[in-house]
Amino acid sequence: MLSEERIKLMTKMAAYEENEGKQYMAIGSYFRADYMGKQIIRSIICATIAYLFVFGMYVFYHMESLMVDIYKIDLLEFGKKVLYYYVIFVAGYAVLTYIVYSVRYSRARKSLRKYYDNLKQLLAIYDIENKN
Amino acid sequence: MSVLLEIRDALRNFYSRHELYLLPFFKFCFSFFVILMINFNLGIGSRLSNTVIVLTVALICACLPINLLVVVAMLFSIYHFYEISLECAVAGGMVYLLMFLLYYRFSPKDALVVLMVPIFFGMKIPFVVPIVAGLLCSVTGAVSVGCGVLAYYVFIYMRDNAAVITQLDADNLIARFRFIIDGLRSNKGVFVVLVAFCGATLVVWILRRLPVAYCWTIAIIMGAVLMVTVLLMGGLNYDTGMTTKYVIIGMICSMALAGVVHFFMFNVDYSRTEMVQFEDDEYYYYVKAIPKNSVSKSKRAVKKITSVL
Repeated sequence: MLSEERIKLMTKMAAYEENEGKQYMAIGSYFRADYMGKQIIRSIICATIAYLFVFGMYVFYHMESLMVDIYKIDLLEFGKKVLYYYVIFVAGYAVLTYIVYSVRYSRARKSLRKYYDNLKQLLAIYDIENKN
Repeated sequence: MSVLLEIRDALRNFYSRHELYLLPFFKFCFSFFVILMINFNLGIGSRLSNTVIVLTVALICACLPINLLVVVAMLFSIYHFYEISLECAVAGGMVYLLMFLLYYRFSPKDALVVLMVPIFFGMKIPFVVPIVAGLLCSVTGAVSVGCGVLAYYVFIYMRDNAAVITQLDADNLIARFRFIIDGLRSNKGVFVVLVAFCGATLVVWILRRLPVAYCWTIAIIMGAVLMVTVLLMGGLNYDTGMTTKYVIIGMICSMALAGVVHFFMFNVDYSRTEMVQFEDDEYYYYVKAIPKNSVSKSKRAVKKITSVL
């Protein structure tokens, strides 16, 4: 026999699985440290590429003066400066990533907890139905 | 009011019944409009301005996720930049690439906002975007709006300076590149617009979340006031390209459009607010319940009169 309560619950859960649940389940399949690590590594790669592009543009923009002064410039000092800005930029971006993704992870876990509660409730309904 | 509510409900019902067909149709129209606007502004006479190509791309975009339209629009504009000069394409492409690398990792869902800013700038009512983004998006909507403003000003700079750039010494790549970068950097008006738009998005987002009556209306008004103030004050010192008349009229139209969004997305009746209090084993609950405005459909009863002769 059809149980209205069970069907309502199943519909609700199916809608969740189709929409926001899809994204949250992907996040929930990771341990927190693994998830954060993955996102931070991705961010570091993105930030490195972005920095390289900006540095490339800087070099191209100042090409003429760099070519003229190439022998006068303290290359080691210049390299240190470039590296210094790189570390600051990447570290800042990684911290931002950490904050954003830790909020997302906790939100996903909270949402999934509700989903699992519904799942337990559904199992309980099935048990009752089977006994009857 | 009840007529408007009935129309809203009818529209909602119509959309939910035909969503399967309406969504690709809207995507097609929107993609077509976006590409047409890019071509109209940058690439008249270009190979990509061919109507068959535009229609085909719009049709493909109708079947793809809407976020890909942003990529398509960027590729189209980069191609038009390339037709002006290689350096334009490199500079424009670099700005887009930095946006993708640094921002879209965090909030790909708001990518559409980036497209909306140049479109509404074209329609002379750009102020509606920060207000609506603040109402509907998360806090990252402010960054999306900022990216949209940057993209628009890069676009406009290339369009306005295309003739000058092409006249520069073609062999001197560096001189051309420097001219473009200097031009983009020297436009301080962009920063005024950036502050106004991002600030307004944040203010609207903060205010519409407050647990006070008419928070959405307050948010819309305060966002508009902030934008007008920053743009007019900033306009005194820097060239924002916006006259007082443009700002005021544009803002009034934008507020009206934001009001329409408000009506569809958050229409509640504060006069029927209820405060309830109850408790369970663990907590006391102080609940404020505000009913949504809705109208019950007038039921037409059809009376059948049969007469037996």
